[in-house]
Amino acid sequence: MGLTNTPSDLLPGTLELLILRALVSQARHGYAIVEHLRLASDDVLTIGESALYPALQRLLVSGWVKAEWGTSENNRRARFYTLTASGRRQLAAEHAEFDRMVGAIQRVLTTT
Amino acid sequence: MTALLRRLLYFLRRARHDADLRDEIEAHRAHRQDALERDGFGPDAAARGSRRAMGNVTLAVEDAREVWAVRAIDIARQDVRTAVRGLRKSPGFAAVAIGTLTLGIGANTALFSIFNSLILRPLPVREPARLAMLTDGSWSYPIWEEIKARETELFDGGFAWSEQSFDLSRGGPTIPVDGSYVSERFFEVLGVRAARGRMLTAADNTSAAADGPVAVISYRFWQQHFAGAADIVGRQMTVERLPVTIVGVMPAGFFGVDVGRMADVVLPFAAEPLIRGRESRLASVGSLWLEMMVRLKPGQSVEQANVALRGVQPQIRAATVHGWRRGDADRYLSDPLTLVPAATGNSSLRTQFETPLSAMVVAVGLVLLVACANIASLLVARALARRRELSVRLALGGSRWRLVRLLFTESLLVAASGAALGLLFATWSSALLVQQLSTWASTVALDLTLDRRVLAFTVVLTSLAAIVAGVAPVLGLRAVAAGEALKDGGRSVAGDGRFAVRGALVVAQVAVSLVLVIAAVLCLRTLVSLNRLPLGFVPEPLLVAQLNLQASAAAIEERGPLVARLRDAAAAVPGVRSVSASSVMILTGGGWGANRIAIDEQAMTREDRSSQRLWLNATTPGWFATMGIPISSGRDFNDGDRLGSPLVAIVNEALVRRYHLGQQPIGRTIRVGGSNGEARYEIVGVVGNSVYTSPRDGMLATMYVSLAQREPQEGRPEALLTMNVAPGQRAAVERDVAAALERVDSTVAFTFRTFDRLIDATVTQERLVAMLSGFFGGLALLLAGIGLYGLVAQAVRTRQSEIGLRMALGAQPAEVVRLVFRRVGVLIVAGLALGLTISLWAAQFVGPLLFQVEARDPATFSGAVSVLALVGGLAAWLPARRAARFDPATILRAE
Repeated sequence: MGLTNTPSDLLPGTLELLILRALVSQARHGYAIVEHLRLASDDVLTIGESALYPALQRLLVSGWVKAEWGTSENNRRARFYTLTASGRRQLAAEHAEFDRMVGAIQRVLTTT
Repeated sequence: MTALLRRLLYFLRRARHDADLRDEIEAHRAHRQDALERDGFGPDAAARGSRRAMGNVTLAVEDAREVWAVRAIDIARQDVRTAVRGLRKSPGFAAVAIGTLTLGIGANTALFSIFNSLILRPLPVREPARLAMLTDGSWSYPIWEEIKARETELFDGGFAWSEQSFDLSRGGPTIPVDGSYVSERFFEVLGVRAARGRMLTAADNTSAAADGPVAVISYRFWQQHFAGAADIVGRQMTVERLPVTIVGVMPAGFFGVDVGRMADVVLPFAAEPLIRGRESRLASVGSLWLEMMVRLKPGQSVEQANVALRGVQPQIRAATVHGWRRGDADRYLSDPLTLVPAATGNSSLRTQFETPLSAMVVAVGLVLLVACANIASLLVARALARRRELSVRLALGGSRWRLVRLLFTESLLVAASGAALGLLFATWSSALLVQQLSTWASTVALDLTLDRRVLAFTVVLTSLAAIVAGVAPVLGLRAVAAGEALKDGGRSVAGDGRFAVRGALVVAQVAVSLVLVIAAVLCLRTLVSLNRLPLGFVPEPLLVAQLNLQASAAAIEERGPLVARLRDAAAAVPGVRSVSASSVMILTGGGWGANRIAIDEQAMTREDRSSQRLWLNATTPGWFATMGIPISSGRDFNDGDRLGSPLVAIVNEALVRRYHLGQQPIGRTIRVGGSNGEARYEIVGVVGNSVYTSPRDGMLATMYVSLAQREPQEGRPEALLTMNVAPGQRAAVERDVAAALERVDSTVAFTFRTFDRLIDATVTQERLVAMLSGFFGGLALLLAGIGLYGLVAQAVRTRQSEIGLRMALGAQPAEVVRLVFRRVGVLIVAGLALGLTISLWAAQFVGPLLFQVEARDPATFSGAVSVLALVGGLAAWLPARRAARFDPATILRAE
């Protein structure tokens, strides 16, 4: 298993953005979110529980996701997170903001 | 939903959230284990690996939980913890402060809960606001029948009831129980549903009811008398010798419509003729023995109801006037019938206690004020003593606001603890107080449940106490500068600004205490004067057997001889020195009053209805000797005074004076008007004065007639056997007389009374007020003493170095004491002056509560002032003496 990324390795707010993005297509439980992010990033992003669960709680406090107990594909009890309408709006806004930010950083790095 | 609301919801369901979080992380681990197994690890290795990969789960949970924490709640919790720690460090202060507030808030809550249930709380019935009561006084059954005939036309129904004390025994000593007769729709109009069985219906009020005579009982009676038996409905019981069937149990909390009284057994009016037989009052227009209420129609005001009622008053009067004498008929029902709002029910207790209770509520509020001043003073002292700590906190960057909050949290904590303990104290003491209200004549039952109103009162009171006590130290805090205390370390020699704040508090305490002590002394002196009032007879050896002849199987005509036989049986009991019969129980506040009276051939004069009218009693020969009333001239009744012989009367000296009978009253005629003409009595004797209604009313003009000359149907169905008993044998005599009476007639009912209990009952109110005000006065005095002591002790401590310096320079211990006293003396004198001014002003309000004591009685005032000066002096002298014993060398070396 690779190193687990601590939140400080990412830009602040990025983890939440990634989680929101991971929930766009379907509701996922915590482990599935970690797996999705790992696969989608070609094993670059491995999120630890100590980062994931506080982030999920923050999303719950903000009302961008909601959680429900259900049964996972392995037939285990798991808590599934779903994007709310305000979560969708937040994703769009943050996505745009992230693009702007990354573009800016890119420009700084490439400016000689 | 806002984030804050979600956080609050989270806070309320924290345990559930934590469990979810733990389950969730465990699920995460399980999924990882599944993945590892898929990758080819064995189950054990997979479980181990998954656990290892999880890292610090507790920290993750903590972190996740942290997200929800509301900073404000967190900080508040921290404040409370700091305050608790601060209070724990000075347990003495905490105990005094919390104890003081427990008594203060507890006493306030106790009195308020009585005030609430007696005066404020609406009846526990459907829409009590629509109830109205017919005033003033009582009504006859025929009047009720007239109103009943119009109850649905004028109102939304009406009902009548009559308070009764029923005897549950089958013979011998009475087993009294509070109850009432009610009209058929009593429960229906009130909207009260049965807890068991059914309530009374119209069918029960006919003489030929299907169930025979029926009764409903209170929930309490069901629990206490029948141990809550499940088969209660259908059981039989005996009420006033009448077997009745219990058809239902009233709901818990329903006591009837008389606040302060529990109607345990309720019978329909139809039972009354079955019990009283020929003496039934149902048909009598002259017997005023019941009360009436109506339910207003929705939207109908009391004024509209009054107009409606007065519209039919002439018909009511016409239908019920026959059988009255002309003069009486003219006045009968000429006053307009008046309804008043009755949402809180009817209560004679309320009328009696409204004024003293209000006075006590004010007094107990003042006690709380003194207590708060005390705590404020203590808190100021604490803030002062903690100046070093506070100033360090400031220097270390603690915000001033945070310090204010810390001090305030402390006073709030003290107040809240005091309130919690105070509520316990209140439930206990209010029940004790209500117990004090009960007398031989009536058992007071008040529902003292701590309802929302009482709890709200306590919460408001506690907040006020916290604010009053908490503001002073916070104000003092303004003077604390960062690091300042570190510099001088409390070594100041000069004056001390905070002394002024605490000084003002002490002045207020002394002033309020003086007011309360004066009030207490006035009330105690009132009680003493009442207890010292001459009675005119010698109560100690007397024992009275109150006979209820109604209960006896003997016919009305047989009652005279029956009483004679019972008297002879009692006279034969060893230890009974003499026994005489009479017809009126004295010291009950009422009695047998004459309406019209004349001397010789003068014109009849109408007696007023007050207690100062002419009172009557009927006795057998020897009654005056038994009672210890001296015969000053003429003779006692004798066996020659019997039916058929000329009517004779004995009068007391008050009557002689009142009707100007002069030097020779004996032989003159006294004419008493009654419902069937007038009776002429020849005065044959004059006796000493004695009390009749209550000692407070004084010696009233009283006329005695011979019991043997009364027509059997004239008297009440009650007779009294007054026994003069040898000292120390009262208990034995009571037992033997009871047995002797039962041998003569097993159906007669009787109750033993002693005069000390009768006299006690006449001063219930004064005794209670004296007890309470004494308690409050003492408490205030104690608190003021503590406050003063604390102030002086504190002042001496902060000025230790100055005192040490003075003593090192040659000051004598006496001079040091004088120095301390000079400053404290000013405060005490100022407090006393303020207290005297307030007392002189407030005297106008306590006047009605006093008896034979002036509200501005100089002796009381000067006595109270000396007591306070003494307590103040003592409180100041103790720390001053200690200061004078300082060793100057030690103090100065400590510098």
